Formats: sequence, structure tokens, C-alpha cells
Amino acid sequence: MSLAAPMPGGCAKGPTPLMDGVVSRTVRRHLPFGVHFDLTYRCNERCVHCYLDHEDYGELTTAEILAVLEQLAEAGTLLLTFSGGEIFLRPDLFEILEEARRRHFDVSLKTNALLVTPQKAARLRELGVRRVQISIYSDDPAVHDAVTKVPGSLERTLAAIPLLQAEGLHVKIACPLMTENLASFPGVLALAERLGVSYIFDPTITPMIDGNAEPLAHRVSGTELLPVLQEPKLRGCRPESVDASALPVSVGSASSSGIERDAYDDLPCSAGQNTCYISPYGDVYPCVQLPVAAGNLRRERFADIWSGSAALERVRAVRQSQLPVCSACSIRKYCERCPGLALMEGGDLVGAYERACELAEVKARLDGVADAVSELHRRQRATQPPMPFAESAASAAAAR
Amino acid sequence: MSAASTVWQRNPVLAWREITGSAVIISPAESVMHELNGTGSVVWRMLDGQTTVEQIAARLCTEFDVSEETALQDTSSLLEELAALKLILPAQAAGGAKGATAP
Repeated sequence: MSLAAPMPGGCAKGPTPLMDGVVSRTVRRHLPFGVHFDLTYRCNERCVHCYLDHEDYGELTTAEILAVLEQLAEAGTLLLTFSGGEIFLRPDLFEILEEARRRHFDVSLKTNALLVTPQKAARLRELGVRRVQISIYSDDPAVHDAVTKVPGSLERTLAAIPLLQAEGLHVKIACPLMTENLASFPGVLALAERLGVSYIFDPTITPMIDGNAEPLAHRVSGTELLPVLQEPKLRGCRPESVDASALPVSVGSASSSGIERDAYDDLPCSAGQNTCYISPYGDVYPCVQLPVAAGNLRRERFADIWSGSAALERVRAVRQSQLPVCSACSIRKYCERCPGLALMEGGDLVGAYERACELAEVKARLDGVADAVSELHRRQRATQPPMPFAESAASAAAAR
Repeated sequence: MSAASTVWQRNPVLAWREITGSAVIISPAESVMHELNGTGSVVWRMLDGQTTVEQIAARLCTEFDVSEETALQDTSSLLEELAALKLILPAQAAGGAKGATAP
């Protein structure tokens, strides 16, 4: 008889065979392995690109949240990320964390850290919180504070990092990239290295959760992103050069659970397969970037929503190889197509959308692909009537 | 102090869940994941700070086709490994993380 020795594996150091095995099983069995739970949309910053409205329309009560945690534990959730809004604005945060740890969740937090004190950092450590992800937009206070609209916010956020590190917590810097702070990325990179923390740069700026497109004005173009994509330290942005043993530095989605792996095979992502999102009002979505309501935890139990939602079933049925346009794309390996953004920006869960095509083409060109044109753009060009010579010449003259 | 003569309990700082019959364990301090197979997971479930090694081995004998001697030997061996990894603690020493006790 073998009791099988435990197999150590790194869950913070990129993909591992062990992690892949666990993730594969949860995908195959549709177990909600990871859950992103926003405790509030209220916030003490007013970031220019934010997709939330910062109001409280009736957040889940403490008792309701504790009941949800019980249901998630029963359903098999292990990885639990609490985010917001700003989670430290919930006066019951530590009560929630205590219950989460009592139920043996692996707990990560996302915060701006403005309200972190030595006492709170110590309590997080006592409770066994594993990781704290902190948003930083620049190493230049003028740039960071202009994004958050809170004077002094960079100074306060940076002051919290050593407090958390002193308690042995893993700190990760998340830096959304937008027009306001694109030039700051080398400084944030150097800052993270100086502090000894991991980091992620993310050019994903999404519409507001209600569909309002205003945040998109802050997006940088694919061409403007070239210096970031060419940075050798951000290897994660190039599909062929991901090193499984690399430290978790990457360009990717801020909403990523960090468990995207080959285990997903022909699936677009983890959303609805083995991860989901819960809003402060108890709405269950496949992902924070895929606001297709699957159910509400004030009316239904989590297990019933997870196993019985028609919306989740639709999301789960999507296969990369069957996408009507993208499956034929010659540069699809450079593409980080997001089903949620496809729905929000293109109106079609299985459709192609402009932003993904633009970034894929930039990455493909960087990799030396001669004909770096997405299938969407190829079809658009094929259906455009050829421009009459006289009009073409006039356009060229006007352009000069 | 040998593994066989000690009553053990799961280290309360750990995150863990049984996933398709296997205990998946994450140590927050090291951010390291461990996994036990089905048999090891039966042992893991019983590490409640009260069940003795003999009781665990006896349970394995009833659930699996194995002799008492082998069950005791393999259980002790697994517990030594888990203790070396700080995944389990002697029951009397397991003060643990506040708020992170067993439900």
C-alpha cells in the first residue's frame, strides 16, 4: 500500500505539474476552484480608469457573506480573492477573513493599502492570509496621485508595503497601464525589484460594469505599448517565451486568478469553468470582466447557481476551436482574447473584437511574423470595395 | 518524539480542500502547494488532534486491503513526512493562527 508522499510544488512560481493536475481536475469536473469576491464597490480612491461607480446599493451583510463562505467551502472552492472597491472600508473585513480562514480557504487580498496599519498587517499574518496585491500606477507621486485623485496616496500606499512584508506576507504590485502612466512602467518595475515584490502590468482597461465606455478613453494603443511588450523582464507577454520556472512577472489581466494553464486546453479561460466572480450584492458572474448574471446569492444557494445556471452553461460551452472568426486566425497564438471583453466591446461572447486583434498584431509583428493580420481584419479588408483610383489619389494627397 | 506515539493535527495556518478525493494543501508562508493521494487524504481527514496513529491505521485496515502492521508503518512514515513539512503539528503544540482553527 502506498500513502503517496506529499508532492511539493510551487503555486507562486508559475505553472507546475502539480498545479496543472489540480486545475485540470477542477476544470473537467466544473468545480469552483477559485472565486473572486468583491466585498464592496465603495472606495477611498477615485481612479480615472475604474470600472465601478463606488456606490453602495445594498451590500451583502456580514451574516450573508459568512453564509456564502460556508457554501463556497462546501462547493470545493480553495482559492479565494477578496477585492473591491477598497476592502478595508468594510468594518467587518477581519470578521470575514477569520471565517474564511476558519474554513481553510487560501486567501488573497486586493487593496490600495491606504488603510493598512502595523496592527492590521499583523492580524492579516495571524489569520494566514497568503498574498496582498496592491495597485500602484507610478513611482512618481504626481502621476500616481493624478490617477487615484487622492493627494499623498502613493506615499501612503508605499508605506504599507514594508509593514506587510515585515509580517511575512507576499506582496504583489499590480500596475494597470493607461495613457496617464504608460511612461512610468520602468519606474514601477524598478520599484518592485527594489522592494523585492512580484508585479504585473496590465493594459486591460474595460468599460464600466454597467457598460459605460468612458474608461476606454484611457487605453493606450498597441503601438504605444511597444516599449512594454519589448521589455525582456516581462516575458509573460510573449506566448512562446513563457518560462515555467520564471517568477510571476507578466503582462496580463488584473482579474486573472493566476491559475490559467494549459489545463484549459480548448477553453477560452477559466471563467465559469472553475472560477467565478461574486459582486458585493451577491450576484454571481463567470468573471468580473464577464458580467452575465448567473444568479443571486440572496435568492439561491451557490451550488444551485453554479450547477444550474443557463448563463454559466452557455459560457462553458464556448470552445476556442469553434469561434466563428478567431478559430481561423493565423496569429491566434499571440491573442489574449477575453470572452467578457468580446461581449462588452463587440456584443458577442464568441466574436472577435478590435482590441484583441490590435494587440495580437503588434505582438506578432514583434515576433517577426511577416503577415501579422488578424482574421477579423482580413475579412474586413476582403469585404471593403476597392477604392477608385481618383479617390485614392485624392486621399493620398490630402494625407500629405 | 516519534510520529507513531504522537497525536497529530493539521497545521491551522494551512489552506486546504479535498478536491475529487485528494487533499490539496497550500502553505501560505511558503506559497507551496502539496497534494495527497486518496489514501493519504483519508489520513489527512483524521488528523484532528484527537485520533491516535493506531486508530488511523485501524481505519486504513478496514477501508483498504492491508495488514495492520503495514498500515501502521505507512501511516507513521507519512506522518513523519507531513511533520517535516510542518503540515501537521503535535496536538498539544498546535496553538495555530487565531481564527484559523478547524470548523
